Amino acid sequence: MSDCAVQLCGISKTYSHFALGGIDLEVPCGSVLGLIGRNGAGKSTLLRILMGLVRADAGRVSVLGRDMPADERWIKASVGFVSEDMALYGAATLGWHMRLVRDMYVGWDQTRALDLLDRFHLDPDQPVRGLSRGQQVKALLLLAMARHADVLVPDEPTAGLDPLVRHEILTLLAASRSERRAPIFSSHYGDDVATLADNVAFMRDGRLIAHLPVGELLGGGRSLEKVFLEKVSAIECRRAA
Amino acid sequence: MNFKNIARLVRKDCWLMRWPLAAYILAAVAGLVMTVIGGSVLRSAGITLAFNVLIGVSFHVMLGPVLGERERKTLAFVMSLPVTPRDAAVAKLAAAFTLFLIPATIAATTLVWLSPIDIPAAMAAAHRPLWSHMIGMFSYYALVLGAWLVFFSVVLGAAIISESVGWTIGVLTGVLFVFGNFVMQILPTLHGLRPYLRALARGQAALPVTIACEGAAIAAIVTVILMLQQRKTSFV
Repeated sequence: MSDCAVQLCGISKTYSHFALGGIDLEVPCGSVLGLIGRNGAGKSTLLRILMGLVRADAGRVSVLGRDMPADERWIKASVGFVSEDMALYGAATLGWHMRLVRDMYVGWDQTRALDLLDRFHLDPDQPVRGLSRGQQVKALLLLAMARHADVLVPDEPTAGLDPLVRHEILTLLAASRSERRAPIFSSHYGDDVATLADNVAFMRDGRLIAHLPVGELLGGGRSLEKVFLEKVSAIECRRAA
Repeated sequence: MNFKNIARLVRKDCWLMRWPLAAYILAAVAGLVMTVIGGSVLRSAGITLAFNVLIGVSFHVMLGPVLGERERKTLAFVMSLPVTPRDAAVAKLAAAFTLFLIPATIAATTLVWLSPIDIPAAMAAAHRPLWSHMIGMFSYYALVLGAWLVFFSVVLGAAIISESVGWTIGVLTGVLFVFGNFVMQILPTLHGLRPYLRALARGQAALPVTIACEGAAIAAIVTVILMLQQRKTSFV
């Protein structure tokens, strides 16, 4: 097993309207990295590249010592990806999705799945189209966590959720953090990152502008959001000059 | 390729399409019954129903399991499962062909009754062994289904490659125009083709050659789909 949970070297991806450039990131096993950036900064694109949902134009993606896309099936079997851009089949029930996922992963733990169902107050017989946004996020987390994914990659898991559900999901992710299973996640909320992450990476316009330990940034009553805004405005001032 | 997971993805699509599939099968059976037992009006209605089933199921398969995945954001869920893009593409092709072929086979049976020949009477008069008739019937089915599958594959290719509803409907409309006008109306009137069509109707060498050409065309289209799918860089 590699010492690195996630390794991204020289990742770039160009679209007609946006470019992700020269991303180098290393997340050691047992450490948690939070990505912070504005909408369109490239956080989701980076996590999609990590998960093989988007192919990078250049660079190397490695998860637990295996390369994407050479070991794509192995990596996907080891990673639990949860994203706000991901939906379950509306006409099917959560129970149906659980059976589908159970059949595809050797690590599926039915006891844990039932425990998570109970904890999230989810009904396995309810069609997914009847679930609220928060319940859908919980359902996706259940599907990722009940199979004991080695690596959990939540992409803005708390976006658009009410404070109560957000708190529940953060509690759950904090539990994963203690198991060191969620090495990298993105969020708009500095508080979420401060709660869960050891390190933080700030992204702006497709580039990493800082990658620092969370503890170093939170001195003097500052929040991560404030630090992020300071970094962004410093860059903008330099450009303007 | 991971064939177990491919089979699971095919089963998933078939399960999600089970009610429309049941409706198309019922409609195809109704069309067949009308064609077999009815008079000229019912027969005509049955044949129309059979064509409608073929067109309807083609649209439904394209808009549901093929194009609907990205639009409904379920593609990200599927692609986050332990499958490669090639596994997912093969599963999608297999599911689409399965969903099409079940009602299409019944509808093709209806189209067999389109023949102006009284098939059972012709079989009895031919004094040939049963296996000879069976080969003839299967060949005829293969010919009709093969032609539909070629057109279906073209539309499926447009749907999978373009991932655009507009392009898919455009290609489907074009295919129906070509089939309805060129293949059904113009081709049989071309003098140069008459000997070939006669040989086809008599089950001579033209028949297996045509079926083989249909099979080769489908294989070529599927190969092109998989090659172009391999070049895609986004699966969400």
